[in-house]
Amino acid sequence: MTRVALVPGCLALLPEYSSLEDPVDELRSACLAAAAWLGEDVRVIAGAQGARVASALLAEVGTAPVSSGEAAYLIVANGSARRSEKAPGHLDPRAAGFDDVLGKALTTPDPEALDALDLGLADELWADVGPIVEAADLLRTVRTVAVDYDDDPYGVRYWVARWA
Amino acid sequence: MAIVNRTPDSFFDKGATWAEDAAFERVRLVASQGAEIVDIGGIKAAPGTEIGAAEEKARVVDFVARVREEFPALVISVDTWRAEVGDAVCAAGADLINDAWGGADPELVDVAAAHGAAIVCTHTGGVTPRTRPYRIEYDDVVRDAIDSTLGYAQRALDAGVAKDSIVIDPAHDFGKNTFHSLEITRRLGEMVATGWPVLVSLSNKDFVGETLDLPVGERLLGTLAATTVCAMAGARIYRVHQVPETRQTVDMAWTIAGRRLPARAIRGLQ
Repeated sequence: MTRVALVPGCLALLPEYSSLEDPVDELRSACLAAAAWLGEDVRVIAGAQGARVASALLAEVGTAPVSSGEAAYLIVANGSARRSEKAPGHLDPRAAGFDDVLGKALTTPDPEALDALDLGLADELWADVGPIVEAADLLRTVRTVAVDYDDDPYGVRYWVARWA
Repeated sequence: MAIVNRTPDSFFDKGATWAEDAAFERVRLVASQGAEIVDIGGIKAAPGTEIGAAEEKARVVDFVARVREEFPALVISVDTWRAEVGDAVCAAGADLINDAWGGADPELVDVAAAHGAAIVCTHTGGVTPRTRPYRIEYDDVVRDAIDSTLGYAQRALDAGVAKDSIVIDPAHDFGKNTFHSLEITRRLGEMVATGWPVLVSLSNKDFVGETLDLPVGERLLGTLAATTVCAMAGARIYRVHQVPETRQTVDMAWTIAGRRLPARAIRGLQ
């Protein structure tokens, strides 16, 4: 069974943006556990910044992305960055509903619902969902889902999830 | 390094911690404010009533022992130039002898070595302890400070003081006019480049006061500006009256210089 994991593209996960006190310690722990769970051969599905986050997480657990062969998948995507007045994109009242639909599609999982996401609305809501839509087919055959993190501590909706 | 005066007449606090309990309260306060070293002194630096070694010891030795007992992890420094006093305070638990007078007592390094203590090697231009500079000039004050403090450091090494227990201090205002202290500040990086850890003692001093034309009680901002310059240059120890203000200033400059991480950065990185 192919293992697939999702982490958010939160740049605070990158070592070059480290602080004395980690502002995303719980998120980081969940991301690292998920990355380790994928094993040694991991393909990354992500945008350019997300790929940096993925590489950093994989490096932390002692591996690096591969581009061919049988592998697990690490997807870098997240929900809206417009979930509150303090959120990076300020409050958009549509963000909560969009993320609820997205969250349900991820955790069910429901690949058709992921395929049907409104990408124009996602753009307006600063939701980086391209990689998860791209990877939706991977979720058609999975039998288990584990949601390790589901929160929006800084106005951006993050999930860490594992499918197998 | 927080200044704790067991004196009735020091220029900044004017005897506020002369009483032992008041001095002890100050130790508790500065430790809670983030000071890693306390610098306990029994004689003010400026000229004044002669204080003999016996009186100096009466002011600081038992006090050091009391601080040692309550704060086992705090680094205890004693501001003295006398070997006899250094010996007694080290026996009572002091870790560091801050000789602000540039090795005027040649046996001080032997005392530090015998106790495994650290020592601050300062530059004073060769003046006698507790005297003010008068018409002192240098061809190059920074060169003189480096040569003098490194010479002192070598004497300490030769006496058996551990290499990582030696600190150098250009000693702003000591044997220097305001122009000298400003130049030392501007060129502090040259002292840092020697590789020895550099201590700076800037707090509320006359070079700040003369630069800004401000009396003793109004020199904090000028002190912090000079602190920033020294922190950017890489000074490691700051001997100060105002701990939280200095801690923030040094942390900020040290982080700008790329030597410390931000406390907690998330803005724009979510």
